[in-house]
Amino acid sequence: MIGQEAPAVGGPNDLDALLYPPPARPYRQGRVREYVLTATDTDLEVAPGVFFPAWTYNGTAPGPVVRATEGDQLRVRFRNDGSHPHTIHFHGIHPSNMDGVFEIVETGAELTYEFEARPAGLHLYHCHATPLKKHIHKGLYGAFIIDPKEPRPPAQELVMVMNGFDTDGDGENNFYTVNGRSFYYARYPIRVRRSQLVRIYLANLTEFDLINSLHLHGDFFRYQPTGTGDHWEYTDTVMQCQGQRGVIEIQFANTGRFMFHAHQSEFAELGWMGFFDVV
Amino acid sequence: MEAGTASARARLAWRLWALVPVLLLAIAVAAVSTSGSWFADLIGRNPPPADEFDIRRVEFKPAEIRILVRNPQPDDLTIANVNVDDAIVPFTVDGPTTLGRLRSSTIVVRYDWVEDEPISVGVTSSTGIQTVEEIPAAVATPEPSLDSFFGYALIGLLVGVLPVALGLLWLPALRHASAVWLAAFMAFTAGLLAFLGVEALSEAFELQALLPAALGGAGLVLLGVALSFLGMTALAGRLSRGSGTQGSGATGIALALLVAIGIGVHNLGEGLAIGASFAVGELQLGAFLIVGFMIHNVTEGLGIAAPLAKARTTILTLAGLALVAGAPTVLGAWIGGYSSSDVLAALFFAVAAGAAFQVVVEVGRYVARQAPGGLRSGYAIGGFLAGVVAMYVTGILAG
Repeated sequence: MIGQEAPAVGGPNDLDALLYPPPARPYRQGRVREYVLTATDTDLEVAPGVFFPAWTYNGTAPGPVVRATEGDQLRVRFRNDGSHPHTIHFHGIHPSNMDGVFEIVETGAELTYEFEARPAGLHLYHCHATPLKKHIHKGLYGAFIIDPKEPRPPAQELVMVMNGFDTDGDGENNFYTVNGRSFYYARYPIRVRRSQLVRIYLANLTEFDLINSLHLHGDFFRYQPTGTGDHWEYTDTVMQCQGQRGVIEIQFANTGRFMFHAHQSEFAELGWMGFFDVV
Repeated sequence: MEAGTASARARLAWRLWALVPVLLLAIAVAAVSTSGSWFADLIGRNPPPADEFDIRRVEFKPAEIRILVRNPQPDDLTIANVNVDDAIVPFTVDGPTTLGRLRSSTIVVRYDWVEDEPISVGVTSSTGIQTVEEIPAAVATPEPSLDSFFGYALIGLLVGVLPVALGLLWLPALRHASAVWLAAFMAFTAGLLAFLGVEALSEAFELQALLPAALGGAGLVLLGVALSFLGMTALAGRLSRGSGTQGSGATGIALALLVAIGIGVHNLGEGLAIGASFAVGELQLGAFLIVGFMIHNVTEGLGIAAPLAKARTTILTLAGLALVAGAPTVLGAWIGGYSSSDVLAALFFAVAAGAAFQVVVEVGRYVARQAPGGLRSGYAIGGFLAGVVAMYVTGILAG
């Protein structure tokens, strides 16, 4: 299934805000990065005609990409407009009272999370109110990039958050997606340049299933687990459990159309499949 | 004169008054149905609709799967997504995509299915609820062809007409049986019909339970049973009047015809079940099963022969009776093999039950009248039980 025959929701640029992260900023001492996240109850069309009663940050699941440079002071104003109590739990190094576990934000209330962004890498944020499984699979999560003080090489950057939607409440996902809509990148392939470095921030927030994975056709890439450290793996398939993430870097060897998908065939056939258009 | 007109006018007025409750009811119904969820909101909140489809039939054609779905609930239901073996597949809908109450559509999926392997189909509503139907083995659905038409007819003849005809061959032997033994054979007939009636009734209840609540229910079964029981009662009255034994119930050919009709209606249901199960790949129509049905049904021929023991008959009459009892199997196999009306099937088995029970009553009256010692004789009781046991034991072969 590719192009028009792929059953995906919406138009060609609908998910741009989630796929293309805000640009990295060079390190500057004492800078404050501010974000506003609002929890809402939103019905999301995850597959054509199929609506999921989601809980979201800013109306999408995954929520917006939060990005800072290591050493920035991060200030996230959180407002809960949802019908249930929520929090934001960031992965990273921060004080206990900024961890989004003990300070539950009731409906209509606000809380500002403030801490220094560290360590550099690809991290996550998600709701940590109980029941935890419910609050995560309903859609309260997103990618959290902390750029190193020494900037990464320039690249075309993409964010892919792998997730699933259990639309009939039986504890099994009915649809699998990257960035929230099944088969979206099969319908609208991601255009990249062969001569250019492509960097993909890949995270797994899939609930219910033990693991998720990404497999790229026709090429190999370098994979840095958690986006930290000096260890890079050279492969075409990576596996992540829920909460795991990492940074992929690739320079495509050939032009043409290359498929990427979960290497669990079941997930691929339930929506987690797409294409790169290498030009 | 004056008084007469006045009372006629009064009668008319009271007849018109009978319309008043109907009009008031119409007003009340209109008020309630326009109030939406107002009443429920006073008490609490209505739970959301189940949003599950009723998957009625899954057909396997070359490189294609056809799924017949129905909306069993009051709220509209929209087909949004279709899975085969837990994978999303492109599909088209032959009929409306949004189904109103009790409306059906056929989903068509281009799919390279694997012969004889288990397969599941899932239909997801716009609210994300998935209804899954597991098919134990994918088997090509028979296309209506001359071959299959002939095939169903042959199977119907083998399991319906042939055994009944063979059973009728007991007639010459029965003619020489003593009165008590004849009574025992008549009771045997009643026993086997009672068995068929209970079997059909149970099948009718099972089938109605699979229907959406709005279409099913014990009332549907009662309707079928009452329809045939009362119809057969009227027929029995007419036949016994014709044979000149007014008021005393049917005898001889008339009674044999009633028995044949009772068995025939049952055999129509049997054919229906065989045809439908075979068409959806749930039944292996092997030699063993056909042999089982033949042995099971040969006793039915005996049942028709018993009332004829003292009557003058021709070969043509006997052939006619065999056709009345056996030929409906062929008709049933055609209907079951090529159509899929689950409401009719449930109603049908109920009709079969009612007919069988009516004939049991008719035969019972005959035994009570004719048998030495009546219904309480050991021959009558033993014969009835033997009929039930014979059906049960030979039924093991057909199961």
